Amino acid sequence: MPSSTLSRVQARPSRGYWWYLLPGAIAFTVVVAVPFAANIYLSLTKWSGIGDPRFVGLDNYTRLLHDEVFWTSFRNTAAMVIAMVVVPTLAGLVLAATLFDVIGRRFGPKAASFLRATFYLPQVLPVVVAGILWGWLLRPDGAVNAFAEAIGLGAHDWLGDPGTALPMVMLVMIWVQIGYPVVIFMAALQRVDPDLYEAAEIDGASWWHRFTAITLPQIRPETFVVTLTCTIAALKVFGPVWALTRGGPNNATTVPSYFAYNAFFNKLQVGYGAAVATALTLLIVAISIGFLKAQGRVEEAS
Amino acid sequence: MRSPRTMISIGAALVSLALVLAGCGGQDDDAAQSGTGTFKLWHYESANGAMGKAWDKAIEVFKAEHPGVTVEFERKAFEQIQQNASMILASDQAPDLMEYNKGNATAGLLSSKGLLTDLSDEVTGRGWDKLLSPSLQTTARYDEKGVMGSGSWFGVPNYGEYVMVYYNKDLFQQHGVAVPKTLDELTKAMDTFVAKKITPLGMAGAEYPAGQLYYQLALSKADRSFVDNYQLYKGPVSFDADPLKYGAETFRQWVDKGYVSQRSASLKAEDMGTAFIAGKTPMIVSGSWWYGRFSSEIKKFQWGTFLFPGNKLNAGSSGNLWVVPEQSKNKKLAYDFIDITMRPEIQTILGNNGGVPVNADLAKVTDLKNKELIANFAAITAADGLAFYPDWPVPGYYDVLVAGGQSLINGSKNPQQVLTELGKAYEQGVSEIENG
Repeated sequence: MPSSTLSRVQARPSRGYWWYLLPGAIAFTVVVAVPFAANIYLSLTKWSGIGDPRFVGLDNYTRLLHDEVFWTSFRNTAAMVIAMVVVPTLAGLVLAATLFDVIGRRFGPKAASFLRATFYLPQVLPVVVAGILWGWLLRPDGAVNAFAEAIGLGAHDWLGDPGTALPMVMLVMIWVQIGYPVVIFMAALQRVDPDLYEAAEIDGASWWHRFTAITLPQIRPETFVVTLTCTIAALKVFGPVWALTRGGPNNATTVPSYFAYNAFFNKLQVGYGAAVATALTLLIVAISIGFLKAQGRVEEAS
Repeated sequence: MRSPRTMISIGAALVSLALVLAGCGGQDDDAAQSGTGTFKLWHYESANGAMGKAWDKAIEVFKAEHPGVTVEFERKAFEQIQQNASMILASDQAPDLMEYNKGNATAGLLSSKGLLTDLSDEVTGRGWDKLLSPSLQTTARYDEKGVMGSGSWFGVPNYGEYVMVYYNKDLFQQHGVAVPKTLDELTKAMDTFVAKKITPLGMAGAEYPAGQLYYQLALSKADRSFVDNYQLYKGPVSFDADPLKYGAETFRQWVDKGYVSQRSASLKAEDMGTAFIAGKTPMIVSGSWWYGRFSSEIKKFQWGTFLFPGNKLNAGSSGNLWVVPEQSKNKKLAYDFIDITMRPEIQTILGNNGGVPVNADLAKVTDLKNKELIANFAAITAADGLAFYPDWPVPGYYDVLVAGGQSLINGSKNPQQVLTELGKAYEQGVSEIENG
């Protein structure tokens, strides 16, 4: 059969499959593309939410670049990435490997499952509930201060001091996030061939050697997924900040999504809020594309 | 969590509603003229609060007087109205009468966009203006830019509110503290409590109380022209000089002296109120909106109120407004309902439940405390002493004030730095309002 005929034979069924993409494409257009285009348009206007938007070109973006709070919000996002991606992923890796490889072996799979569930529990709580709960613990007359005073340390307004508010929000987010990588990594470890560990053990490899030489390379795809999803969650984090600090004290914990919300609803600066939302969306899309490309390259190389 | 996608959807909704707005015009329902049809009423007062009880009675009276009309009442949440009013009023789903927030950023904005009915003729025709003192009228009238204080009537307030000092009589008695009549006496009273290791003044930096204390302190050095300049943009406002400088500096001194806890920056107003209810706090400086709740929840000690000592001007204003959407299909019924809420029989219900009526039959207000509350308000309005609220001048200023108050409490910024930030945001906001 000539090669051109072969191509035609292969092309026919793939053209048929395009119809299956239609519902998704329509949904994407209606739910994502059109609102995003509308948002971009609004970001080029000055509008209080009522009446006709006034076209102002790139004014909102120029203002954004000179807005100190906007840059503070992005600096705080970097802190959120540490709290919601870096720490939970690293700690999650170690915890999952420990639960699977040490606890699971010594105390049985039930003990490991129980501990995994405990780590995952904060993920089940609605994030605002978690925020309110931690708000109670951290308030000036809350349990954390009662404990601090009992052991001789003075009480402190943890969420009211700009020096401690952001670290406290980060701490809460580590607590909320850590169960997610643990669960994903433990599931990933189930599919690693036990013979690899056995062979390594026979060869005298320590736990650390097994972890670095077998566990890490074997669960690389899951590490990518966790890192990507957690990074996106960190970039658009809103609920915990709203529940714990409302971006305060004095913008110490403001993040871009809260900043945009504030512009939309409190300041009635819809155009400016849309500019923040557009900048944030573009950043998330760019990071996601970067991640996916990096993942593709790594997988190709391996 | 507000994802960007949510915001985009909100943006799209706003666009489509703007289009609706552009395409819609006002209309009157003939049925209303004949006393039949449906009357849609929205408000956001809780059922067991003073206003909720009074408006319930007003609905009853309205039904009796309009037997052919079906009343569709919906109790909304404050946030629901606050965030969606503009979209709702621009659509054909608008109610015939609605409670709405007073101020430039809310009722003023909607009036300037043509979403509210000009009530001027009704107000004078029905004599509502005669029941409201000039300072209560300020929040009801808006000019073409939506700035309060002059122009047409776009809302009708029928109760008032003001900031005062609530105090725990038992704690005062226990520590031999007399009710202060001047600012000096107030600071001496607070010194007494500090000496007994009691923080005298409850505070909540994460919400409005800090801004209100700063404003009350500033008002102790202010006159009406300052209020007119600050709230109505009648003249320049200096954030480097008294009274605002005095407000910020004294607030910080009060923190340094232990009158206000340095650990209250993260607390919410609810925390401050519940600490007072629990009998832990000798005093709080806050609004009359607490009154009904304190009356029903404080059982273990005696409490009372006094006006902020020495102040001729006090934070306070009319209550929220009844507004008639331009899209209302039954405007006459809306006016009839407002008229009922102005009657002494309905106003007296407010007075007997911890509210501050503007036209009550005081002989029928039975509770002595409530009488005192109403009398204090009458004294303030008679002296033209309502100075509104510090966050009113520009949209979004509330957050700026909260941030400033938190900085004064936790000491992360000095008063001068705080004043500079407050001034910058104020000037930017005013410029945006004035230039459209």
